[in-house]
Amino acid sequence: MEIVRNLWQRKLRSVLTISGILMGIFALTTMGSMAQHFNVLLQGGITYYGNSVQVADENGGTFTSGCMSLSTLDEIRGVDGVAAAFPTVGVVAKPGSSDVVTFGIPDYITNYAPGSGHYSAFKMSLARGTWVTDASRNQVDLGSAFAAEFKKQVGDTIELPVRPGDAKSDFVIHRFTVVGLINRTLTAPDNGAFVSTHDAQTLQGESMPAALRSQVDPYQLVSGVVAYGRPGVNLDALADRITREVPTAKAAKPSTLVQSFKAGGAVFTFITTAAAVLALIIGGLSVVNTMIMSVTERVREIGLKKAIGAKTHHILTEFLAEASLMGLIGGALGFLLGAALTVALDAGDPSGGLFLVTPHLAVLSLGFAIALGAGAGLMPAIRAARMDPVTALRSQ
Amino acid sequence: MPAMRVEGLTKHYGEPPHQVRALAGVDLQIDQGEFVAIVGRSGSGKTTMLDCVGLLMRPTAGRVLLDGVDTGTLNERERAELRSHRIGFIFQEFNLLPTMTAMDNILLPLRYSGGDRKAARTRAEALLNEVGLADRSHHHPTELSGGEQQRIAIARSLINQPTLVLGDEPMGEVDTETASMLLGLMRRINGESQVSFLIVTHDLELASRTDRIIRLRDGHLIDDERLAPEAVTWVTQAGVRR
Repeated sequence: MEIVRNLWQRKLRSVLTISGILMGIFALTTMGSMAQHFNVLLQGGITYYGNSVQVADENGGTFTSGCMSLSTLDEIRGVDGVAAAFPTVGVVAKPGSSDVVTFGIPDYITNYAPGSGHYSAFKMSLARGTWVTDASRNQVDLGSAFAAEFKKQVGDTIELPVRPGDAKSDFVIHRFTVVGLINRTLTAPDNGAFVSTHDAQTLQGESMPAALRSQVDPYQLVSGVVAYGRPGVNLDALADRITREVPTAKAAKPSTLVQSFKAGGAVFTFITTAAAVLALIIGGLSVVNTMIMSVTERVREIGLKKAIGAKTHHILTEFLAEASLMGLIGGALGFLLGAALTVALDAGDPSGGLFLVTPHLAVLSLGFAIALGAGAGLMPAIRAARMDPVTALRSQ
Repeated sequence: MPAMRVEGLTKHYGEPPHQVRALAGVDLQIDQGEFVAIVGRSGSGKTTMLDCVGLLMRPTAGRVLLDGVDTGTLNERERAELRSHRIGFIFQEFNLLPTMTAMDNILLPLRYSGGDRKAARTRAEALLNEVGLADRSHHHPTELSGGEQQRIAIARSLINQPTLVLGDEPMGEVDTETASMLLGLMRRINGESQVSFLIVTHDLELASRTDRIIRLRDGHLIDDERLAPEAVTWVTQAGVRR
């Protein structure tokens, strides 16, 4: 109680100090929640791409829109070490919107390959409804962000792809019935619409340039193939073997993909660290300044306490507790404000949001704020604790 | 057993050639239950003596024994412990914490000495009653007069049931009437509880109401006058002359 009274007695200074910590923790919370969001997103990629081999057309990259022949799928399945291989067929859900800057995954339509879940380390589950099958036509399972953006429930219909404002006259849309809603994964599938491979091939064919469209059979083309290795098989070696043995395919090494995701994660970790350093500077200097002034003003009090029996650790503890309390209050307010802002911003973002406030982040923010207060208050507290009682009692 | 004894107490400040000799080999013993005044001019060594006896300062030479314990052999932690349990302090400027109520100020030493808080609270209530401020326990220092603040400080000095209370000009900040009342209060407590009091004062009239007057000059003890009981006249809080 005495600590609270001491802070209350110096209201303006306490408020200013707490504000300094608040700003720092606010920055840490907002930046940290953004970093958390992207790190979860990237972790999903690491999990998915870490245990599978992504195969694309020999001329195309893994993430390009190059197509490959369906017959290549059987060749890949025949490579030694391949346990299973599934076609991937995907198109963007909002054509023409790719020139819009986005920090998240743009909405996409892809095929759902029944059976692939058995092999993939990345698991998806349904919140409601059923999965589409190879025999499904004009049925779709929606990711959580996709469903939320279009406000769709099981049984509703949705027109895909979304017609752009400047759509050409030959732009084709299809009416799909929502048969399942996928649980939130906090990563790519949240922004996906999953249809049967046949329907995805239809959409892929219709997305091709008109000149090309008439020359190919869309049902003989896939965007790529995802292959899974048998237990114990080195996937990087398997990727090399696929590239070597299937002339029309180029497989990416999982370790290369995982490394690129981790590199992305490092950027966001740096952002969080930078925010923490900012908090450290702003909040830390405020606390140091306030505690030095507090010690200076309360020299006689320290002398009195020592005279009546306070030991060095008593004085040290009292001042550290005061500094830590300022850290806790500033941290709690900063976290709440930061969390409120991220919730408000995410509420207005149809793609599912940019931020992820987790209990881990809350503990980190509060723990950091308390440690910041205590750390910054340590030097003034030591000064107070070491004060000579006679000198302190005689001070004016 | 004496409550306090000092042997050859010497204290120097600074280094030669600018060294100041505050105490120069003072020998003194105060028995349990004695009420002693130290008088002397400014710079005579009164306050230094009190600081050394109160274990707030280590002497340059000599020994301070409290309840038979040679305090020179103790480390700072042990000195703080002994100070907490054996010595009460009353200061000229009261030194009450402004953020605390009278009751909390009285209980403050408990924070560092430990012990049964419930029993201490009962004791604090009794002390508040003793100093005549039972109805002011929830008041803050700024709501109390100087005399009332010093009565609270007296109660605080007694909360840990010390054997020795040290007062550095405890009546220095109050008017004559209040000073007389405060001295009466301390003498009454001294008589009832047998707590020894050693107070520094420049007021010879107040000093004459104690059991014994120690005179210091330039760091030397120049006179140790024991006053005959019949010569000691003092006024109780109720104004009754005994």
